[in-house]
Amino acid sequence: MIQVALAGNPNTGKTSLFNNLTGSYEYVGNWAGVTVEKKVGTLKQVPGLLIDLPGIYSLNPVSRDEGVATQYLLSEKFSAILNIVDASQLERNLYLTVQLLEFEKPLLIGLNMIDVARNRGIQIDYEQLSALLGVPIQPIVARTGDGCSRLPLMLQQSSEQSAVLFRLDYGSILEQGINRLTELLPTHTNLPSKRWIALQFFEENPIVTDLLSGFVNREQLLDLRQETERLVQEKTGARSLHQYIRQVRGSFISDIVKRSVRVTKQATYTMTEQVDRIVTNKFLGIPVFLLFMFLVFQFTFDWAGTPLSDLLDAFFTGPLAGFFEQMLTLAGTSGFIEALILEGILPGVGGVLVFVPQIFILFLIISFIEDSGYMARVAMVMDRMMEGVGLNGKAFIPMIIGFGCNVPGIMAARTIEQPKERLITTLLTPLMSCSARLTVYSLFAGALFQTHQALVVLSLYVIGIVVALLLAHLFSTYLFKQESSIFLVELPPYRLPQWKTLLRSTWEKGKGFIKKAGTFIFGGSVVIWLLGYTGPSGLHVDINNSFLAAIGGLIAPWLTPLGFGTWQAGAALLTGFFAKEVVVTTMNILYAPSAAETLQGAVANVYTPLQAYSFMAFLLLYVPCFATLATIRKEAASARWTWFTVGYALFIAYLVALVIYQGGRLMGFE
Amino acid sequence: MKKSLLDIPPGMKAYVSDITSVSAVLRRRLIDLGIMEGAEISIKRKLPFGGPLAVEANGQWIGIRRWEAGKIEVEV
Ligand SMILES: Nc1nc2c(ncn2[C@@H]2O[C@H](COP(=O)(O)OP(=O)(O)OP(=O)(O)O)[C@@H](O)[C@H]2O)c(=O)[nH]1
Ligand SMILES: [Mg+2]
Repeated sequence: MIQVALAGNPNTGKTSLFNNLTGSYEYVGNWAGVTVEKKVGTLKQVPGLLIDLPGIYSLNPVSRDEGVATQYLLSEKFSAILNIVDASQLERNLYLTVQLLEFEKPLLIGLNMIDVARNRGIQIDYEQLSALLGVPIQPIVARTGDGCSRLPLMLQQSSEQSAVLFRLDYGSILEQGINRLTELLPTHTNLPSKRWIALQFFEENPIVTDLLSGFVNREQLLDLRQETERLVQEKTGARSLHQYIRQVRGSFISDIVKRSVRVTKQATYTMTEQVDRIVTNKFLGIPVFLLFMFLVFQFTFDWAGTPLSDLLDAFFTGPLAGFFEQMLTLAGTSGFIEALILEGILPGVGGVLVFVPQIFILFLIISFIEDSGYMARVAMVMDRMMEGVGLNGKAFIPMIIGFGCNVPGIMAARTIEQPKERLITTLLTPLMSCSARLTVYSLFAGALFQTHQALVVLSLYVIGIVVALLLAHLFSTYLFKQESSIFLVELPPYRLPQWKTLLRSTWEKGKGFIKKAGTFIFGGSVVIWLLGYTGPSGLHVDINNSFLAAIGGLIAPWLTPLGFGTWQAGAALLTGFFAKEVVVTTMNILYAPSAAETLQGAVANVYTPLQAYSFMAFLLLYVPCFATLATIRKEAASARWTWFTVGYALFIAYLVALVIYQGGRLMGFE
Repeated sequence: MKKSLLDIPPGMKAYVSDITSVSAVLRRRLIDLGIMEGAEISIKRKLPFGGPLAVEANGQWIGIRRWEAGKIEVEV
């Protein structure tokens, strides 16, 4: 069985190809740094595994996602590398190719984006290029699958052969240095190619330097590097060894590009430039972003989401409930089971499922932002503001992804270069209002803010962002020693997303929600209903004397200053630790709607708008759900920071809700 | 006299002559993208309030901060 690793620059279409060859649906998007983890898939056509890795520019990692890819290539076993090269950016991509060739593993090049190259008038002589590099090349369009079907067989062939010998002449001085270093290395080890090691060492790749110091005296190593550097500087006038190596590779690459590529017309980026003229405009950039956000909410709530979810709601509470009732009567089930289903599971699960339309619309829009190329522009438009709070514009990407779900948002922070900024982003992404919280807003907004739904919900998102920025400022000033922030973002050309891809990635994000409804929320409904059905005095107690009331009552007094000091609110918030949607489940079971009401209607009788707003703000900010906490624990690799997140979130949530409720009362709201 | 990227008007082409005063991590990234001595570079647009610049180099577009662009030395 073959085992092939995908390697290539970021945003060159590795994951698109991976999905095509393995039939998976991994995360694809038009910006650099979408994939941050290793993913393994089974090849469809030949027996074997394909491993998708984060994008890298060299085998010398800066950020954590690059570390994942480099670590894999250096320490895992695989039979061949499939190097994805962006045909429209050939020179830059080939720097990595040269290093992979020096690595001396069987290599095959997938020359991707030939459609883009063709449109820009770049004509590549594939055979010539392949001959010059000494490895097979397959031109492909990973987005549509053109040319991809031949790859698996070629991979099988490559895996069976040994690597081609690739040897770039680095000039007598450096070659001497390489020889001296390889002589110092032991012969019988499972080290990668010795020549490669030597070159990477001279380039100051820290991973390789560490690896080497296991075999050779560190001082001896550094002496050798210094001496070689001095000689190279004297002889060639190069600034550093690193620069010299880069130069040699560069001239090799521009030579082969000259011999195999012809540019027939001047590149034009008309569409990209036109769109950029608006979205990164001096005056319009930020307003356009806000307007876009507002339209998102209009669409999610007023125009499409809510009407659809009202229909679902009416269906659940009407025909579906009626149908279950009849079935249960027919089956002659006991009153207990009937109550469990009709008063527990149906409102509990149904009450969350009615928000499927809103959630899918939100995911559709997030997928559009991801696949169009707008993401990198948002990072750019936001950088000035983020710089002010000690972060950089790229930290906004995890936050936008966090609007869908905080877990992938936190993972996306891996691409941030500076450790301090990465950690702060990891800690603050949970403040982004995820789709699970959207269900709670939908419940309250639908019930209490019918006229300004979109605006009310948008304001909550803004609270989340503003609090995150303020805390970022606080954390970066007081918690971490100042480490200057850096910002560089690649601006890929815009691509009109394909409908198929959009729907696919919407479904991939949204299916988790439906799955949760069938498992977590279903189970939660049963437990919550049981806790409300039983009490210290036995079964079928009045709900106010139930175990649930007792538990919720414990924290209710703490919540009174915030405007919702009822045991119901307390119980609902407690269940929200597991998953935020469960808050809706709990509320629906507790405020059991009578037959005439819809699920949302019942809530309107119990809360005033001010109380509801305070509750929503609290829910937005308080403790992240378990899945998010587990991710923080893993990414920050620290229990302390995880607890810190719980602590600061509770504190801020309390503070904000207090200000909203008490301030609102002072201003005369109730 | 030495000129930085900020001294050339948007749209005009220049060649990178020195990036040694750029901070180490950013320099790494620039080199990763092939933006080093000799590369052709031009400013495409400037964002407001001292925000970042969109720069084109070797046919690709990147966003970098203004004050850091000021440390990239160029020749016209
Ligand atoms: N026009 C065109 N677009 C492509 C092609 N292959 C991929 N894309 C698009 O390029 C973008 C990046 O694709 P991905 O598959 O996410 O790239 P990746 O290399 O996995 O990116 P990272 O995970 O960030 O390293 C997406 O918007 C794809 O739709 C292609 O052959 N032609
Ligand atoms: Mg990817």
